Amino acid sequence: MRSVLSVAIACVACLASLSPALAHHSGAAEFDSHQKIDLTGVVTKVEWTNPHAHFYIDVKDSSGSVANWNLELASPNVLIRNGWKRNSIQPGDMVTVTGIRAKDSSNYGSAAVITFPDGHKLNFLSADDPAK
Amino acid sequence: MNKRVATGVVSGTLLAVVSLLGQQAVPPPGSAPGKTGTIGLYRNQPLAPPGPAPKLADGTPDLSGVWLGGGGNDADISNPRGLKPGEQVVMLPWAEDMVKNRLSKQDPEANCLPTGIPRGSPYPWRILQTPTHYFILFEGNIHSFRQIFMNGKHPDDPDPTWYGHSVGHWEGNTLVVDTVGFNDKFWFDYKGHPHTEKLHTIERYTRTDLGHMTIEVTIDDPGAYVKPFTTAGKATLMPGAELLEYICQENNQDLQKLQGPARGPGEQ
Repeated sequence: MRSVLSVAIACVACLASLSPALAHHSGAAEFDSHQKIDLTGVVTKVEWTNPHAHFYIDVKDSSGSVANWNLELASPNVLIRNGWKRNSIQPGDMVTVTGIRAKDSSNYGSAAVITFPDGHKLNFLSADDPAK
Repeated sequence: MNKRVATGVVSGTLLAVVSLLGQQAVPPPGSAPGKTGTIGLYRNQPLAPPGPAPKLADGTPDLSGVWLGGGGNDADISNPRGLKPGEQVVMLPWAEDMVKNRLSKQDPEANCLPTGIPRGSPYPWRILQTPTHYFILFEGNIHSFRQIFMNGKHPDDPDPTWYGHSVGHWEGNTLVVDTVGFNDKFWFDYKGHPHTEKLHTIERYTRTDLGHMTIEVTIDDPGAYVKPFTTAGKATLMPGAELLEYICQENNQDLQKLQGPARGPGEQ
């Protein structure tokens, strides 16, 4: 299992693409586009709720300790209209998530792209493969 | 009108509304597919076919349907892209100071409170027309409604409320909605442009064809702005959409994470 957390150089384009969906608050006030995340782990919980859907993953670091991350998506309303279903991601799924981290540097982030072992992808806004 | 009476009005008019919905010229969701495209954040959405703006049986313009957009620039209402050409937003000094000092976490929208008029959102909304009342149903944010008393009068001393007291009338094919009686709580945008209880808005809704509606909103608040200004927006019909539930209060984890001054979504 890949178990990498990298806090790297900014991904301004990522934030720009996420911002419109952060409908009920300023995304720039919550997430730091300079803190890019790249996490792999097992989904432990999914909250299909407004104003944002959330899923949680256990991420193991190189020493073997496990951290639970809370990752935010657009609202279920936006996701449903863009092809997501409430069971598109489920507890037990192994996923790799890229995105940006909360400004408070907690284990909280905005999930830009979710990649599954079979290669299919979901993103913050839609179930369309962002590469297409 | 108090909330209990208002609720009764809503309930009592639902049957009338159902009959009006049936008069829409747009095919219902699930009918034969036509062209699709992106509407706001939503991809692969059915698009309204070309066609004239429909009318109700009595000749009144039919504004019913699920719409997206049309509000002011929700990042910054003073952005010229959301204003009528030539319009300017000029604040009084206290209002300028307030914008400089507001924090993102104080934004009522971030707290799941109403966004007032004319702040836009990425969520669709619906207009319902009855003979006496028009209603605007918001999916989000927040999941609430406005009521417009057609050919009505404002009370002499309305209690200040988030959406104010709205009366409407038709000027040709344009629905004109006059609203007073606002509280001073909602923000015009993420940036925190304020207003006072002196706020008076005049909205002008014109369905220009089957799939589009222009919305102009004149904002007159001598308590906060040097002169009135007018926003200009365009709403797009979402013929394949129904409103969904959106309960912002259910899991609003973001509020405790918001940091720093009030600012637009992409503004670092």
